[in-house]
Amino acid sequence: MPRAAASSDRRQTFFSRLLEEHARVFFFSLGKLWQNPAGTLLTALVIGITLALPAGLHALINNVDKLSYSWEGAAQSSLFLKDSVSAERGKDLARELNARPGVARTTYISRDQALAEFRKLSGFGEALDILDNNPLPAVITVTPMHKQSRDEINALVTDLSNLPEVDMAKLDQKWLERLYGIIDLLQRGVMVIAVLLSLAVIVTVANTIRLDIQARREEIIVMKLIGAPNSFIRRPFLYTGLWYGFTGSVVALIFVGVGMAALTGPVQNLAGLYESNFSLSGLSFFAVLQVFGAGIVLGWLGAFLTVSRHLSKIEPH
Amino acid sequence: MTDIIQFHDVSHRYEGGHDVLSHVSFSVKQGEMVFLTGASGAGKSTILRLVALIARATRGQVHVHGQTLASVKPRHIPAYRQRLGLVFQDFNLLNDRTVFDNVALPLIIRGHSHRDVGRQVRAALDQVDLLNKEKVYPLTLSGGEQQRVGIARAVVTKPDLILADEPTGNLDPEMAHEVMRIFERFNQVGVSVLVATHAIDLIKAMPHRMIHLEHGRISMKVPLSVRHAGDFPYA
Repeated sequence: MPRAAASSDRRQTFFSRLLEEHARVFFFSLGKLWQNPAGTLLTALVIGITLALPAGLHALINNVDKLSYSWEGAAQSSLFLKDSVSAERGKDLARELNARPGVARTTYISRDQALAEFRKLSGFGEALDILDNNPLPAVITVTPMHKQSRDEINALVTDLSNLPEVDMAKLDQKWLERLYGIIDLLQRGVMVIAVLLSLAVIVTVANTIRLDIQARREEIIVMKLIGAPNSFIRRPFLYTGLWYGFTGSVVALIFVGVGMAALTGPVQNLAGLYESNFSLSGLSFFAVLQVFGAGIVLGWLGAFLTVSRHLSKIEPH
Repeated sequence: MTDIIQFHDVSHRYEGGHDVLSHVSFSVKQGEMVFLTGASGAGKSTILRLVALIARATRGQVHVHGQTLASVKPRHIPAYRQRLGLVFQDFNLLNDRTVFDNVALPLIIRGHSHRDVGRQVRAALDQVDLLNKEKVYPLTLSGGEQQRVGIARAVVTKPDLILADEPTGNLDPEMAHEVMRIFERFNQVGVSVLVATHAIDLIKAMPHRMIHLEHGRISMKVPLSVRHAGDFPYA
């Protein structure tokens, strides 16, 4: 007589029953948190602040990075042509180089143009009149494409300097390299901070869940008495951890959003003073997903670690 | 008839303590209702705890459903307990859930479908006359009603063995009587019932076998023939 009722159940596949059970716990654990809004909000706030720090720093560094790209034009290389190269050949060469992979743009500056420019900018125009002929070489400025490594750009410049028409190639990007170096360092720093704060999120969730387990000790014992396996008892706690991570992520994104909004005005003001149209950009869609992903995974992990440790210690006796 | 529970020379000792049960042998047949009696501390609860695998025998063998309990591994205990219906003295209900959710819990643990759960929970509540209370919380009910919820939870999965540890210990006589009658009703449809109780007055008039314990030993077995004859050894 005991198993007759189970027959209608068997028609349902194992998978759909599992899905139903997970959906039930998904909403059940959310309901539990809803019943204790103050505690939930507090935990979410702590996780939110913890996640907001690396997310915010990440966004700021991305902006500095973006800013440095807009200065990329300055990383151009100047090819000084030999005097024997004619103006026609120089223009042709500029066109040829333009077609090379890794080259974004080339400009040919004839000796006369160079002289005119020098005259205009240097203030030594009169001094030049003393000279019989124009001492300045023709120049092709080459702008490497974005997103190339320093090694690639260096290799390109070396290649160009070996061309028969070229007397000398000069790459002026020391300061940009330094900037990249600083950005790299900051990015690494943010990563270290992110790892440390991830641990903090895990510990926060683990501790909250530990208290939750202690508060529901009697309930766990009753569950075990009526035959609930550990996986069944564990599940709501894991979803609770997941919800903590999720709500923490929402809080973190709100913090980052508010922080960005607060900086937008002053940044635009400053950019205006530098005659730049630079504006702060917020977190990308991918970064937002990352914040949610990190929150959910860390929350789940924190819950999993505690529940696994504490559940087996609670046995009816 | 086969035995659903068998104890062979079973002893149980607390770690570093004395024997709370020594050399106990008895059996319960399929479809039988048996009372375990004796003063508190005599070992009644220990026997139930051994059957429910809440504790393990220190010596001797316990067989339930023909299975040697010593061979049940810890990770298989939940599946083992799912075949039993347990009823407790202090009800052990989850007070933050409705009556319906409490009774539904064993079914949800077993992964029954939504539709199935509703049907079986209502059937179980109907059997204990609490169909109209499914939406209320346990603490708003009387002790007798709470215990009936506990019984509904124990029987909702239709187990063939019910274990009850002092089920009437916290109830007034009238409610206690009602609870015992419910156990009898389940026994009449073939469920084996093992009830530990010290409420001798309550079970005096009930024609079921009795096993009396004193200081961890069986001091008296009162067979059915004696009980039917209306002869009661404690009178």
